[in-house]
Amino acid sequence: MNTIKLAIIALRNLKRNSRRTVITVLVSSAGFAALAIVGGYMDFTFSGLQEMTICRGFSSSGGTGHLQVFRKEASQKEEHYPLEYGIADYDELQRKLMSVGDVDATLPRIEFTGMISNGEKSTSFLGVGVNPAKELMLTKYWDTIYSGSKKNTSQELMFRKLAMASSNGVLLGAGMAKALGADVGSSLMLMGTTVDGAVNVVDVTVAGIMNNTMKTIDKYYLVTGTATAQNLMQTDKVSKILLVLNETKKTNHVLSAVSSKINAPGTTVKYAVTPWYDLAEYYHSVKDAYRIIFGFTGIIVILIVFLSAANTMLMSTMERVREIGTLKAVGISNKWISLMFLYEGFFIGVMSIAGGILFKEIFTIIINTGNFEMPPPPGMTSTYFLRIYPAIHFLPWISLLLLFSTTCSGFLTMFKIRKLSIVNSLTHV
Amino acid sequence: MVDVSRYYGTGEGRITALSHVDFDVKAGDFTVIAGLSGSGKSTLLHLLGCIDKQDDGRIIIDGTDTTMMSLEELAPIRLEKIGFVFQSFNLVPVLTAYENVELPLLFKGLDKHTIKARVGDILDELGLNERKKHYPREMSGGQQQRVAIARALVTKPSLILADEPTANLDSQTGTSIIDLLIDLNIKKGVSLVLSSHDSVVVDRISNIVYISDGSIKKASRKNPP
Repeated sequence: MNTIKLAIIALRNLKRNSRRTVITVLVSSAGFAALAIVGGYMDFTFSGLQEMTICRGFSSSGGTGHLQVFRKEASQKEEHYPLEYGIADYDELQRKLMSVGDVDATLPRIEFTGMISNGEKSTSFLGVGVNPAKELMLTKYWDTIYSGSKKNTSQELMFRKLAMASSNGVLLGAGMAKALGADVGSSLMLMGTTVDGAVNVVDVTVAGIMNNTMKTIDKYYLVTGTATAQNLMQTDKVSKILLVLNETKKTNHVLSAVSSKINAPGTTVKYAVTPWYDLAEYYHSVKDAYRIIFGFTGIIVILIVFLSAANTMLMSTMERVREIGTLKAVGISNKWISLMFLYEGFFIGVMSIAGGILFKEIFTIIINTGNFEMPPPPGMTSTYFLRIYPAIHFLPWISLLLLFSTTCSGFLTMFKIRKLSIVNSLTHV
Repeated sequence: MVDVSRYYGTGEGRITALSHVDFDVKAGDFTVIAGLSGSGKSTLLHLLGCIDKQDDGRIIIDGTDTTMMSLEELAPIRLEKIGFVFQSFNLVPVLTAYENVELPLLFKGLDKHTIKARVGDILDELGLNERKKHYPREMSGGQQQRVAIARALVTKPSLILADEPTANLDSQTGTSIIDLLIDLNIKKGVSLVLSSHDSVVVDRISNIVYISDGSIKKASRKNPP
């Protein structure tokens, strides 16, 4: 009962000092909103990075797809010659994979390396052999996620050009095209090693020049059709098959279904199925870096909230010296009086959460409808529209942090209350 | 109080507020401590009320030696055995008259029916029933002091201490407050110690202790008015 009364006193004191209370609540609400918006931006960024990893990738191999299927040996043993552990009967394997629910497309890919030359100048390349018509499925998937937002459509255009090109078409990274002085329609030579270890040369025609997501990749990046790559390597195998699902969140579920389907008892060739997140080093390193930056921002914001609330609490203590002295003289112990101030901090926290949610919603609407165009992230080439996701999962943690911070500010008053002389307090003006 | 002294400051600037004072309050006594401003009246009351600590001597409240207890340890004694009435009323501004009187009872662990009955009775007795929902700022000085007296009485303490209770009141209201205290002393047998430098107040009380420069100079007892 006494705790309820102390809570009532705390509430009434907050009301009595309404101007100060409102300012503190506004500061704390702004802190809450800032953290929630940062959380929403984090979700947006991570989601964007995730889908970009799946659809476009940050390496010369392009997007990772949701799942990748390899021969098991490819991840366990070193190949003695190119595509020693490649997938031979990949049409049959693709049929099996497509029969698994939630799989939208299968994308065969060949990874190969070699030299590219214009006759006068040669440079090394990291090549990917793809089925351009099927690769468009990744672009389509990207569109379903980011419909309405600003998207870089060059990738889609490039794959269309490659699909329409005469045999042996090739897409070059902008850096490589510049280094070779090549343009669309230029004839070049690809030199590589066949599966037998011999050197082979294939004539190719530039079908398009693409800007890769990362500028550094542009100097070495090359995409061609699987047939051209197989012709160069004199093989009918592919390195791996990528799976595009209808939703990223189904990745783990489909992974186990696919694994059991293609590694059923009795099958002679065993396959490894790897989810996109095990192939996304760049995604994880960026995510870790962002977490540190956002965590640091969070600490600063909470510190500001704490100091603001602490200032209010200490001011409140200073102004209520006589009241505190009276309560002590009446026989109420320091712990009960301190509890009253803890309640005040707690109530400021509760009000700030309500205000913070309101602020967050208002700013989220303004940002999301404002279509603010952001510059390309470091090392990337395409701009994007700023979006704030709801980040509901962050809100309980931010609320707890804020409540903890404002309530803890009430603890500071305990030291002041303990030190106050009752006699001096009673006559304090 | 046995041989109690209280000093303020240290070294050459040390001021003796109370010097080797022996003082005894018997059950049912109504004593006034009279003296000029700065004579040590309030210090004596503060020490008796366990809201200040003596530098020398012993203070025993209802058989409990408080000498070695800290002010925080004395809180339960203040709550159970002592009621305070202050010169400036010292009501909690955000609480109504009823809530101000109720406040100390909430920390005594009484059930809410007992609390309600006790607070209702005391407000009724002091003629404050119509003011029970009013906040201090909505009441006159005399009414506020009555609420303060009700708050001091509601815990049924062994001793009520009143530090210049009429100093902030006009003479008529002051007289009515003294009447009330005398009445409570006679009817309820409450022990009261009151400090005042007002001769009108002093003259109305039977036990008078004169204090000057921190020492008790004279004690006199006359027949009650």
